[in-house]
Amino acid sequence: MSTALLELTHVSKAYGRSGLFARRRVPAVRDVSFRIDAEPASIFTIIGESGSGKSTLARMILNITQPTSGTVRFRRRDLSTLRGHGARLDFMREVQPIFQNPFEAFNPLKRLDHYLFSTALRLAAAAGREDVERRADEALRSVGLSLAEVKGRFPHELSGGQLQRAAIARALLSKPSLIVADEPVSMVDASLRMSIVNVFRHLRDDLSISIIYITHDLATAYTISDRLIIMQRGEVVEGGEARAVLDHPRHPYSQRLKAAVLAPQTDADPSQPPCTTEPVR
Amino acid sequence: MSVDTEPAATPALSVERLKAYYRTSHFGVSREVRAVDDVSFAIGKDEIYGLAGESSSGKTTLIKAIAGLVRPPLRIEDGSIRFAFLPGRRGLHLASPSEVQRVRWRHLSYIMQGSMSVLNPLRRVRDMFVDFAFDHMGLGRGAFARVVEAHLARVRLEPSVLKAYPHELSGGMRQRVTIALATICKPDFIIADEPTTALDVIVQKDVLDMLREIQREISSSMLFVTHDMGVHAHLTDRLGIMYAGRLVEDGRTVDIFARPRHPYTRHLVASLPRIGEDRIRQGLEGNPPNLADPPSGCRFHPRCALAMDICRREVPPMTQQNGHRVACFATGATGEQPQ
Repeated sequence: MSTALLELTHVSKAYGRSGLFARRRVPAVRDVSFRIDAEPASIFTIIGESGSGKSTLARMILNITQPTSGTVRFRRRDLSTLRGHGARLDFMREVQPIFQNPFEAFNPLKRLDHYLFSTALRLAAAAGREDVERRADEALRSVGLSLAEVKGRFPHELSGGQLQRAAIARALLSKPSLIVADEPVSMVDASLRMSIVNVFRHLRDDLSISIIYITHDLATAYTISDRLIIMQRGEVVEGGEARAVLDHPRHPYSQRLKAAVLAPQTDADPSQPPCTTEPVR
Repeated sequence: MSVDTEPAATPALSVERLKAYYRTSHFGVSREVRAVDDVSFAIGKDEIYGLAGESSSGKTTLIKAIAGLVRPPLRIEDGSIRFAFLPGRRGLHLASPSEVQRVRWRHLSYIMQGSMSVLNPLRRVRDMFVDFAFDHMGLGRGAFARVVEAHLARVRLEPSVLKAYPHELSGGMRQRVTIALATICKPDFIIADEPTTALDVIVQKDVLDMLREIQREISSSMLFVTHDMGVHAHLTDRLGIMYAGRLVEDGRTVDIFARPRHPYTRHLVASLPRIGEDRIRQGLEGNPPNLADPPSGCRFHPRCALAMDICRREVPPMTQQNGHRVACFATGATGEQPQ
């Protein structure tokens, strides 16, 4: 059995809500445990709608916030023990985020190539102009873009899909072992989603980078996930090997999620529940 | 009730050769963005017509033009937009303010993305019903209140929602209020622009099914715009595909998905991920064109595997077969699909 890249053990997060008469704790995440091996690289998917706790879970994995109980370990190191600028920087190099809104990931007043260069200098220990440009170009090509395409461009000059790919390129500069992508395609045009999802496949298969893919879209999850968990109101209701769970979901909530995937009605797709033209009551 | 063939009776909406451009002029430099460039289609009574396309396809501008929201720098350069309920006018932008007042919400209503832009954050839900619908319905206050409650029940909302402000409701509930507002006067025509894009999947399906139920009940026509092909597959009777300001294909939704003819449509249909299918789906190479400087001839030719010489020089005309139209030199004429 391979060593763990990431391991969550009974992780919970509760937010305190105090009022005049009562002090209540609102649990955002309840008792979540899972483990991702260091090898082979894999795509672990967290499926949930709003209020499921998936984004809170992402923030704990990224060490942006801490659990109220339980531990998050990266390469066996408990994140709550990370102290000092150096240790935190090392962690940030290894674990990189991708967020839902690509336009929020970039400073609108900064040219994209310059932004990539400064990230390369800061996180990738690149030295000298040539090295910086080479790394930026390499990262961009991994996502199907090139330095020529983004040279001199501002974020608003790119489409949502291109910009999200640029955000992934930025995340690749430090050569991370884990990328945490929180709803990376939900703000991207549906027709461009698959090209981004395929980038994740390439990162796993060719660059051995593991991905935590957080989404409410079962269909894209089906195409690339190795394992997954389904969350509802902070708790894991079902989990396991991705195709097995999505082909035959057992928990009622999982089944409702699957039934909500919209597809052409002429499809003779045996794994889909029959779709009728009668409205569902 | 869906339309079997091309609408033979007067269509609910007929758009003919519509051209809507943005013209800007700064420091002596003029730019013309041809956001809608010679678009023609018709929507029948009782029909849900979907409009698909990427962000830069011009579908938002098309909606604005149809809804009469035409202000500089947007200009309708040519063509007509005829609603069955307003026969004398070639477009709502040409109607008088009193005609627009009469028509809005009673004959034509909208359901927009981000319901907050329709719902006034400073008004309670019940006051918005009064604002939007009371004058049109010609009922006394008591009778009106009863109709509103019954209509809210129709979208599965409790009467207690009437007292609430929009921010007190969840996203799904706000969209259902928006649907209720848009349908209470039983309008002839409803324009929906990405109404479910911001909603969770389970809520989205619920809202879409509800929308269709109500549409069938009140027999209105609907123009439903979204980039999400899954939504079109689930909801629409007929579907039009827009690319770079032009309509490249339209027809019955089942036909579009079963036998897509335009290369761009084929890509859209093929890239829809499905549970249970193992095939790796490819993204489309290249980027959508700059509408201020679009490619010559067929605007899709730089990204098209089937592009021929004529595609670079001439704009392909729409050809029709069994109610299925396509504008493509390679796949259009005979409906054959070269490999």
